[in-house]
Amino acid sequence: MTAIMQPGFWVFILTMAGIYGIFSLGLQVQYGVGGILNFGHVGMMALSSYTMAILVISHGINFWIAAASGVAVAALGGAFLGLTTLRLRGDYFSIVSIAFSEIVRYVIYNSDNLTGGVQGSLAIPVIGDNYPSYTDTWDSLVNHIRDFLQPRLGDYVDRDFVMGVLVWITLAILLLLVSRIEKTSWARVLRATREDDDVPAALGKNVFRFRLQAVIIGSIIGGIAGIYWGLESTLLSPDDFLTLVTFYGWMILILGGATKVKGLPIAAIFFGFLYGGTRFFTFWPFSIIDSSQRAYIRIMIIGFALIVLMMRRPQGIFGKRQEMVLE
Amino acid sequence: MNNLLLEVNDVAVTFGGVRAVNGATLDVAVGSVTSVIGPNGAGKTTLFNLISGAIKPTSGRILFEGLEIQNLPPHKIAERGIIRTFQGAKVIKRLSVLENLMLGGQNNPGDNLIGFFSPRTRKAYEDQARDRAMELLQQIGIERFAQDYAGILSGGQRKLLDLARALMANPTMLLLDEPFAGVNPTLVEKLLEVLDALRTKHHLTFLLIEHDLETVMNISDRVIVMAEGRVIADGQPNSIYQNQAVVDAYLGTRKQSS
Ligand SMILES: Nc1ncnc2c1ncn2[C@@H]1O[C@H](COP(=O)(O)OP(=O)(O)O)[C@@H](O)[C@H]1O
Ligand SMILES: [Mg+2]
Repeated sequence: MTAIMQPGFWVFILTMAGIYGIFSLGLQVQYGVGGILNFGHVGMMALSSYTMAILVISHGINFWIAAASGVAVAALGGAFLGLTTLRLRGDYFSIVSIAFSEIVRYVIYNSDNLTGGVQGSLAIPVIGDNYPSYTDTWDSLVNHIRDFLQPRLGDYVDRDFVMGVLVWITLAILLLLVSRIEKTSWARVLRATREDDDVPAALGKNVFRFRLQAVIIGSIIGGIAGIYWGLESTLLSPDDFLTLVTFYGWMILILGGATKVKGLPIAAIFFGFLYGGTRFFTFWPFSIIDSSQRAYIRIMIIGFALIVLMMRRPQGIFGKRQEMVLE
Repeated sequence: MNNLLLEVNDVAVTFGGVRAVNGATLDVAVGSVTSVIGPNGAGKTTLFNLISGAIKPTSGRILFEGLEIQNLPPHKIAERGIIRTFQGAKVIKRLSVLENLMLGGQNNPGDNLIGFFSPRTRKAYEDQARDRAMELLQQIGIERFAQDYAGILSGGQRKLLDLARALMANPTMLLLDEPFAGVNPTLVEKLLEVLDALRTKHHLTFLLIEHDLETVMNISDRVIVMAEGRVIADGQPNSIYQNQAVVDAYLGTRKQSS
């Protein structure tokens, strides 16, 4: 029970919550506005973080260029998924999207020469000179900020704290940007398409284009989450990108109220505490079972909390109830 | 060139053995009101779906302003200036009434992501579109619902909204699928006035579907009768009216409902 007392632990939880929040924001654009059910979102995170890591470690490419390339590859992943599948009915897209992220994961798993395979990013082969870890450039930035802030704010400002702040600043900027986008007529058309294709099409809107753009924007945001994911965990493993992660993103989205962005950061924190807090269910009656089983219990408790919330507030924390019940 | 805006040439479409439209040929003159009548299942709505590109014909050609459109996707056809309404009206329930109307706006710079970076242009367009939308809502008498979800509207109000939304698009040609069915008679009068004004002032061309000849007698320049996927009569309203054989055989009791 000691870790629960450590501020560092809660900083970690909040940082993860922020990263999950960014991740979930990508889904919000796709589903909350466009009604697109993407269950392969984690694939975009995998693409961006691995692209970044490989470019830095194998080829010694500048971190910032590598990170931007990672996000670009995630966008391409979204474009590929959308171009191949968005013309099909919505439920086909959902199924294919899961397959997409699983394929990404398996490819990472089995491409030892490129990705390090099972051993993760530590085993990414170095080509030529010995290049640094992909976090070096970032770490020196974080350390600079820490050295600047620590004397002014106090000793609690450590590397992790700065990381958390940067994650949340990124989330705040993205939230602002997305809420702007969602006020445009582009978003209005997209909202129409979540109900019906015929009406917008008959009014001259290319429904496919709008959906494709939504998927790509969501994938870019997912890609940004992937970069932070890689930086926070400092090493990557294919098992970081299980479909379960996508569902965590969904959980946050639904908790916050899918159609509005303002509930999302609160839902992300809520999720973070639920996820992190339930780790400490080591007391009776949870102490009866062993720790690996407890991990499942934790997920069950999260699921149960979600069900209760959805029964009480199907629209999420901030959503509009009327929008859920109109016939 | 002639004064034909729309030409439908021997168009056919089959749904799993059912020839819903079976070699229909008709044309619509610029600035005219042409009505398509016929019993249920005659293929009228399917004809609209073909013209608007919602479905592709198995054979035949459709020309708009002299150019083939039968292979274009619906949004391209709409961009060319053909805007349709839907039988029974379709509204986007979870958008407000005003937003439904705004959806009709064409070439909105905000529809394009590039437009995101020119907020002034976007805003100017939106402001103008909103004014126009409010004006239309006043004309059809549902401006008090502007901010409500369209899902709360009654069936008749949804029809009005569908029509107004089509007008928002400033079409060259309007395809109206049973616009008067289920709308109360006083409102029908009012709608007819609105349509007439559009026609005389804006030279709008109308193709409209009704199952009842009576309703369209006075407003139509021309009436086309369809049955079993074919055009079985085509002419001035009076000649169709007097073509009692057609009326009896294909419209049966004129009181049947959609
Ligand atoms: N999408 C479709 N799939 C199968 N059959 C259809 C479809 N649309 C229309 N039909 C059939 O085509 C025929 C014509 O229908 P429709 O065009 O709706 O007639 P109308 O509008 O004149 O009442 C009907 O027999 C109908 O059942
Ligand atoms: Mg019909």
